[in-house]
Amino acid sequence: MRSGSHYGIAALGFLTRYYIQSLLVLSVVILAAVNPYFRTAANLQNILLQASFAGIGAAGMTLLIVSGAFDLSVAGLLGLCGVTICELLPSLGLVLTIMASLILGVLSGLLNGLVVTKLRIPAFIATLGMMNIYLALAFIWTQGSRVVSVSEPSFDMLGTGTWLGILPIPFLVMIVTYLLCYGILNRSVYGRHLRAVGSSEIAARTAGLPVDLIRILAFSIVGGCTALAGVFLTAELSSASAIMATGYELTVIAVVVIGGTSLKGGEGTLSGSFTGALFFAVISTALNILNVGAYWQYVVTGVFLISALGVQALRAYVLTAE
Amino acid sequence: MSNAPGLLNFKTIFRVSHATRIIQFAESLGVFVLLVIVVAGASILAPGFFTYTNLTNTLITASITAVTGLGMTFAIAMGGFDLSVGSVQVLAAIVAAGLLSMVEPPLAILGALLTGLALGLLNGILISKLGLPAFVVTFGMMSVVRGVALLVTQGQSVMITKHIEFGLLNNGKIFGIPVPFITMMVVFIVLSVLLRDTPFGRHACAIGGNRAAAIVSGINIDRVTIAVFGLVGVTAATSGVMLSSQLMIVDATLGIGFELQAITVSVLGGTSLSGGHGNLVGTVFAALLLATIASALNILKVVPFYQYLALGLLLIFALAIDSARRAFIARSLLSRT
Repeated sequence: MRSGSHYGIAALGFLTRYYIQSLLVLSVVILAAVNPYFRTAANLQNILLQASFAGIGAAGMTLLIVSGAFDLSVAGLLGLCGVTICELLPSLGLVLTIMASLILGVLSGLLNGLVVTKLRIPAFIATLGMMNIYLALAFIWTQGSRVVSVSEPSFDMLGTGTWLGILPIPFLVMIVTYLLCYGILNRSVYGRHLRAVGSSEIAARTAGLPVDLIRILAFSIVGGCTALAGVFLTAELSSASAIMATGYELTVIAVVVIGGTSLKGGEGTLSGSFTGALFFAVISTALNILNVGAYWQYVVTGVFLISALGVQALRAYVLTAE
Repeated sequence: MSNAPGLLNFKTIFRVSHATRIIQFAESLGVFVLLVIVVAGASILAPGFFTYTNLTNTLITASITAVTGLGMTFAIAMGGFDLSVGSVQVLAAIVAAGLLSMVEPPLAILGALLTGLALGLLNGILISKLGLPAFVVTFGMMSVVRGVALLVTQGQSVMITKHIEFGLLNNGKIFGIPVPFITMMVVFIVLSVLLRDTPFGRHACAIGGNRAAAIVSGINIDRVTIAVFGLVGVTAATSGVMLSSQLMIVDATLGIGFELQAITVSVLGGTSLSGGHGNLVGTVFAALLLATIASALNILKVVPFYQYLALGLLLIFALAIDSARRAFIARSLLSRT
């Protein structure tokens, strides 16, 4: 029976299902119409660049949230990786330094995973504690928030170089990362296991899945993604400090949530996180262009996070009403 | 009814609550012993620790953390927690400092407390009425409130120049006891009575202990949730008032990481993250412990960043013990059936 409310529910269903894509398109269209600078190629390049930092981290975080856990330590870990790069680059050279940073990220993720699974501490609070530890290590290494700089042209290219004149290298890496993570989540056995663990840990355990190992691996992936993001952020800034990524965990989780991945775990959308990362970059660029103070970013990010949750709740309601 | 075995009558309730009190005191005994050891160690290893000035300062620092920790304990007992307390604290401090240039201290304090109450109630409403998870809501609010604090101050510091007697809140002493400590004791007494001796407190513990059972037994989850988060907001604002009185100049970068401290002292004090009961005494001891460690490390001229490390390790340590204890209890309960 098609009644008015049925169409209403259908419309609501479309909106809640594709809200992040709609938001992205809407915001780009409005901003391009309103602001001439927004339409320039330089601006587009900047948006793609800015999106890649949170975006790369969000790819790993999506997988972790699908498995039912969170990692709040990424801000401290990114700072630590950045500092590591700056300290090691003069002596180890480009390739080895990047490898060292990635290994550091993966091992730290491993440590996070071990603390959460073996010590049985809830993920959010364990990683909150671990963030302090990573921050402290980075502080100690830099003797107190001292900024470490590098001047290595080949390394800087990673941050500022482009392909085809407009696509920043970090953005290309982001695309590759998302393709990889999409393959892991949706086309591999491990991805199925991730979703199983996120849906019901008890059921997964009863079915014989190695839940702890699955979780630890997910944390390691997040660590690796964070280190990767750290490589590019450090390259762009040509420097690093312990607090270079303050608030990173908020942005990354906000990107994942606003992309549509449910915090309860069990299902996730990588294309949503990708779109979410772009959306956040658009918004923060817009705030800069419109000369709105940087302080509004905190407010905006938090409001978006909470309203994204509201939309998810609305979508759950829609799904049951259909 | 009073003679039926196994049914809840007044005698049983009294016995159970009495036993619970003894168990909780025993749990906080662990922290107390640790506190004594650390204080003794600090007095021996760190010259200048056991002086009147230093002990007073340590006590004041502990009191500020303890006040919010007590509120957080209440929330954890209900099965939730509030990551926004650091931002609420700094906003309340800014509100207090700002209002002092316009009105008398009591009104300024009231304004700050109302700010905390409003923010806490907002948290509670978002969590209960909209059904959004506490972690993410308070995580988002942490950012929003911090942003508001930055916007209000435009990155500048707010100095308290009028009504400088406001500093007495921090420096004053009543019968030789520092006022902040008295503030904390008042909060402690109020929350203890609320938690243990009122239906409200018992309902909060019931929700934390077994949410489904609480719903079925007719407890109004939404109202209790909103009230508890409002309470947390008030305690965070109280800490903010104490902080602004201590520093006399505030800015929006204060209080970062405060939520971590509040959760740490709650868990360290014996309150389990699984909810169902809150150990307020333990929280106070744990706050004293944390302040003692920080003070001793300061005197020993240990770089402040090692304190971050210590805080993180301490939290992990406390949580590991908590989960081990929960596993032990679960195992021993299962083995009885």
